[in-house]
Amino acid sequence: MRDNNSHIDKIFGRANEAPRLLLVINAVMALLYLYALVFWFSKGELYLYWILIVGQVFHTWQVLSFIYTIWDTGYTASGNRTHTPPADVFITVCGEPAEIVEETIRAALAMNYPYFTVYVLNDGFVAGKENWRQIEALAKSLGVVCITRRKPGGAKAGNINHALNHTSNPFVVLFDADHIPQTNFLREVMYYFSDEKVGFVQTPQYYRNHKLNYVTAGAWEQQHLFYGPILKGKNRMNAVSMCGTNMAIRREALLEVGGMCDTNIAEDFVTGLFIHEHGWKSVYVPKLLTRGLAPFDFLSYYKQQYRWARGSLEILFKFNPFFKRTLTWAQKIQYLASASYYLSGLIVFIYAIVPLVFLFTGLVPFTTSTMGLALVFLPYIFLTLYSLQTVSNYTYTFRALAFSIGAFPIHLKALGAVLLGLRSSFEVTSKRALQGNFIHLVTPHLVYIILVIIGIVVALFREGMTPSFSTNLAWSLFNIATFLPFIRAVVPHLALRTRPLAEDETVPEIVK
Amino acid sequence: MKTQTSAIIPLIHRVSKMRNRVLYDYIVVVFLMLFVVMLSFFFFSGQSLRLDEAQSLWQTSHTPERILEIVAQDVHVPLYHMLLHFWQLIFGNDVVFGRAFSMIFFALSIPSMYMLGKEIYGRGIGLFTAILVAVSPFLNWYGNEIRMYSLLTFFVILNQYFFLRIYRRPFKGAWLLWGLTAVLGFYTHYFFWFVIISQSIYFFLHRSLFPHRSFRKFTGYVVVFVLAFAPWAYYVYSLGGAENSRPLLQMPTTINLFNTFSQFMFGFQGDKLNTILVSLWPLAVLLAVLAIQKNKRMAPETLYCLISLLVPITLVFVVSILVQPFFVTRYLIITVPALYLVLGWILYTYPKILRRIVQVGLLVIMLSGVAVQAVGEDVPVKENYREASAYLERRASPQDIVILSAPFTIYPFEYYYAGSADVNTLPIWNRNAVGPIPPFSSEKLPIEVEKLRARHQVAWLLLSYDQGYEADVKLYFDTHFHRLDQQNFSPGLNLYAYKLRYDNPDVEALINAHASAGSSTETGEISPSESSTE
Repeated sequence: MRDNNSHIDKIFGRANEAPRLLLVINAVMALLYLYALVFWFSKGELYLYWILIVGQVFHTWQVLSFIYTIWDTGYTASGNRTHTPPADVFITVCGEPAEIVEETIRAALAMNYPYFTVYVLNDGFVAGKENWRQIEALAKSLGVVCITRRKPGGAKAGNINHALNHTSNPFVVLFDADHIPQTNFLREVMYYFSDEKVGFVQTPQYYRNHKLNYVTAGAWEQQHLFYGPILKGKNRMNAVSMCGTNMAIRREALLEVGGMCDTNIAEDFVTGLFIHEHGWKSVYVPKLLTRGLAPFDFLSYYKQQYRWARGSLEILFKFNPFFKRTLTWAQKIQYLASASYYLSGLIVFIYAIVPLVFLFTGLVPFTTSTMGLALVFLPYIFLTLYSLQTVSNYTYTFRALAFSIGAFPIHLKALGAVLLGLRSSFEVTSKRALQGNFIHLVTPHLVYIILVIIGIVVALFREGMTPSFSTNLAWSLFNIATFLPFIRAVVPHLALRTRPLAEDETVPEIVK
Repeated sequence: MKTQTSAIIPLIHRVSKMRNRVLYDYIVVVFLMLFVVMLSFFFFSGQSLRLDEAQSLWQTSHTPERILEIVAQDVHVPLYHMLLHFWQLIFGNDVVFGRAFSMIFFALSIPSMYMLGKEIYGRGIGLFTAILVAVSPFLNWYGNEIRMYSLLTFFVILNQYFFLRIYRRPFKGAWLLWGLTAVLGFYTHYFFWFVIISQSIYFFLHRSLFPHRSFRKFTGYVVVFVLAFAPWAYYVYSLGGAENSRPLLQMPTTINLFNTFSQFMFGFQGDKLNTILVSLWPLAVLLAVLAIQKNKRMAPETLYCLISLLVPITLVFVVSILVQPFFVTRYLIITVPALYLVLGWILYTYPKILRRIVQVGLLVIMLSGVAVQAVGEDVPVKENYREASAYLERRASPQDIVILSAPFTIYPFEYYYAGSADVNTLPIWNRNAVGPIPPFSSEKLPIEVEKLRARHQVAWLLLSYDQGYEADVKLYFDTHFHRLDQQNFSPGLNLYAYKLRYDNPDVEALINAHASAGSSTETGEISPSESSTE
């Protein structure tokens, strides 16, 4: 692997570097800031005030739940290394390029493990993909069984459930079509099932094309926190999120919950919840055992984010973990924290709108001196940023943060779809670079910039260069600066390949 | 032979590149030093004497023994004053030479800062922080003031350099030089103790970085510091309380706190501009967020800089609120090197293009601040006693009296004033008598005014450095006497002329002329030909 091993080690290998005292102080500062907002500062326009308070309450919840999660990331599960149960290896395929699938199949076959059978789960036929026959031929040529589904339904979950009926080993291993396993994958994963209560074992995703362009780099950097300290923290609380690939599941546990959940677009996340609900344990193995592909282009990234947001938010409204009696409190908090993460989009929207409201109307949520607010806010935010850095072992980036913030329209769209009960279809993330103009995807950001410019003019005419104007202008500029990386990702000549490919990177086929 | 040559050439090239880099750095540093000297020569050295400078010149015009006594009572430490005293013996007590003495240490702070920045972060940040020092409006201001602040800054930088050298690249004299610069620092300003407090905190947090047996050495040196300072502490104690010859300090607010940072970066700007600059504080969050970059971990030395920056400011702020106000921005100059180092480090985490843009933008803004301070009229810290004195030399007659309030403002005024009018203060202060300036009393005010009025024709009331009673004094004069003239020479330095006697027909005619002409007493003047020459 050409990637910097020490960098990978920082993400997955080591416990996080954040001193606990720092985390405690961070938590206290978060609460203090909320307290100050509610009790110390004079209220301005009431509806703005309460919107901001709601946003800050949510943000405080995020900070506290995050600290709770990453409090201890050094936990490792144990297992009997001699335990090597037989496994069915499923490679789910739905129209991915044959060359990518071939690489995965070959790697799967090369795994160093005594008992396993590789199956290609070919959904190309039901999904109307042109290359479904090619996949069948490929599987045959490599000597693996290809299960081509003939009856549609349930997307990837349905594909897996269908294959469950045609296979029999007590354990199932899942790989997406582009996730190439290392030879030691099964040896590093399967032995945890020596604990009979373990329902599934999850390993991280790694994007082998993360250096390819701005989008792949941003998408990868966003994963650092989740596959690093967050999942390692969830591991100690038996609340690992199931991610649908690079994992192994006990067939008994899966069948007990009715197979992969095919009624939710984030079928893996929900299935993991059900498995936990039935008392099974989960294990996270923070080792890089597979190499996958990040979305090559912005549209693919956008669709992927939407799917995750939609699926996770549905959990809040349809499968709310708070009401699952058999979950532990730790598990409830973890699922709530993960699912509610996608409400961030609403909070980002609120924070972006407040200075805009001032620019156009002069209304403010607080009438307190801006210096008073700064005195409480600045230490809190600096500490939070520093905690983020240390927790991620200095692998998190501004680009990742900007991508998360900039994705607010995606989160809002997903939230809207969930609240309105709109149907969303499962769409496999493209393994080819889609070419085209995706600028319409950042219309909200561009509109925001235009509104800020107009708002500046309006505010200057209304009140001139006042302290309130300066502060709200600064906040508007802050929001714009955090949106810029997202906007940049959409501009094709800036976002697509910016440097020569490395040895193990494949040239994405451009699809118009 | 060919192999040797092919190995040597890249080596020569590398050495030459290194030498070129070192030469480049030296050239830049020397250029920066010349820059600040030129700036001083063309803009700052010719400005009017300020109150504090007048105090320095007055204090150091005495014998060394008397200087010690005055300085002790003035709640300061004597090293700078003693050095200035001997400097004046050689070069005289002209303002220009007095400021040149401060300029020497300001100029030396530039290569010192380069050394410190280079030691911690490398030559890139070393150079950048040296540039920040050179273009800093705040440091330029105090680098051209006849006070101890540039000397203090110089010692702070050196002391921090040697402190870090104790463990980073130890050499034989590191501890000793650290100790020596610390003692010199203590005797330059009391606030230097905050530098040692910050270093102590850092030392205990990162003891493992320091060489073996450092704890013993460190505590030993701290004991030496205390012992070295003890004679002075005893001397101050033996003199009794400090004189009330300094401006009264008010309890700081959050505004003072943020103004401090604003002044450190942008210098002394007018109230409106300063308020706008401080209100842009959310941009500091953006600066921090942009610094979230891969593998850009915070080195222990960055933590040291943060401690050196935040601990003194926080401590002073809190103690000023809880115990007694002593939050003065210029005293906190000890934190400026740390601030610039932190800033330099943050900007170096940015991607190259963004870094260049922000660096250049910051330097342009700071240079603009220097320009405003150099030539702007409304700079809050400018004190134009020279112009006030020149005005009074032209306008005030021997029958008039010039009254200064607050009383200690007599120092800068007297430095310039060569006129013939009497000069006194309100409250009336006998500087030859031992003891503090008498406090203001509204009951005594009429009596003192009557005393000052005596046989004078016109009172020229020069008000500055409001100690809380300036409005009372002005109100008294406004309600008891007829105002003839009003001038403003610099922010907070105002002159009002009042007629004291009505038995002089010439002056009475002048008043009537003013009244009938309807000329505004806001800007009216009494011309020399109109003033009485009884």
